[in-house]
Amino acid sequence: MRDAEIDAALAEAVRVPRELPPELLERIADSIKPSLQPVRPLPATSLLTAGLVVIVAAVALLGAARAGFQGVAALGLPARVLIFGSLTILGWITAGEAAQEWIPGSSRRISQAGLCTILSVALLAVFGSVFHDYRTDHFASAGLTCLFTGLVHAAPAALLAFWLLRRGWAVNPVSAGFVTGLLAALAGVSMLELHCSNFQALHVLVWHTLVVPVSGAIGAILGWAVSKHASRTTRSAAA
Amino acid sequence: MARYQAGDFAAARSLIERISPPLHRFFDAQSVSRTDADDLLQDAWLRIHRARHTYRPGKPLLPWIYAIARCVRVDHYRRQVRISTREQRLEGLSEVVPDAEGSQAPDLDELLAPLSESQREVLEMLKVAGMSLEEVALATSCSVGSVKQKVHRAYEKLRQTMSVMDLKKGQTGVVP
Repeated sequence: MRDAEIDAALAEAVRVPRELPPELLERIADSIKPSLQPVRPLPATSLLTAGLVVIVAAVALLGAARAGFQGVAALGLPARVLIFGSLTILGWITAGEAAQEWIPGSSRRISQAGLCTILSVALLAVFGSVFHDYRTDHFASAGLTCLFTGLVHAAPAALLAFWLLRRGWAVNPVSAGFVTGLLAALAGVSMLELHCSNFQALHVLVWHTLVVPVSGAIGAILGWAVSKHASRTTRSAAA
Repeated sequence: MARYQAGDFAAARSLIERISPPLHRFFDAQSVSRTDADDLLQDAWLRIHRARHTYRPGKPLLPWIYAIARCVRVDHYRRQVRISTREQRLEGLSEVVPDAEGSQAPDLDELLAPLSESQREVLEMLKVAGMSLEEVALATSCSVGSVKQKVHRAYEKLRQTMSVMDLKKGQTGVVP
């Protein structure tokens, strides 16, 4: 059997008329009528993306301003350009994807897992090329402090990103939470690169990069919790 | 859609009348009973209404609508999995009433029955809603390549099923 024959069978099946009762359409129209007011469409994706990048940069800078700029002060110019240039590019890409997550039917260039992998691998490559001190003094204690600091700074970035995107509509809240978490993580990582003066390669490679998947996972869990809560609310409202 | 966003009830009504039949079919394929499909259609329109500001004039409308409809369908599927056993679902199947009684044409739901959920969804968007591959990719948040792959696999499965059906018809002497 050829594709054309399958096409013909499908076309014939689609032609089978299926009328909807007019009262159903009437009911739908009546249900939306009371709240039918003019609405302002969302701003362009590029504007939302720019807004998200500004939020990430602002949170990182404010965090470092409070804690100190020891990290960036101790870095040479090429390392600064490489690290912060990469963070800016990664931030722009992630912000674009995060904005798309909140608009139904918008194009996705990268899958969520792919985005997390790209961010992690890119950061590992940049940190691996900049830091060459392979000692591991206070590996766990210093590392956990940095991980915690990164996540603490990711939280306000995530909240502000959510505020900016609040008019959006996430088709998949878990995925939207994950990508927003990844974006917020970049605020945490940027703050760590501005502040942390521990240049031991393994410390930066492991603990600074770990902020990305951990923050993404927290975002996904929160997205899942929100969707559960929303579906429970909808069900109880329907009951 | 832009007029609907501007608060024009006549535009909203005409959109409902135009989009509802294919959307209903989209839900009907999964929801088994007609009443369920009616409820899902109503739920979808409420969500479309609440999210209407997220549509950007000038962008294709169908991917935006089907992305929301898909979300309604997934929520319903999850709810069904939670509250009903497989046996109960199969009992429900016998209650389905054909829409076009006496029609010789095969029903779309029957034709698509052997396909997986995602394959059926993609074919419904392509064949019932008349969307392009790019639009289906936007509505399902995946790449055009992935949509093509699903269509290819769906056609492979349909080819097998329809060959078996033809063979059976040949054996029983039924003229198609």
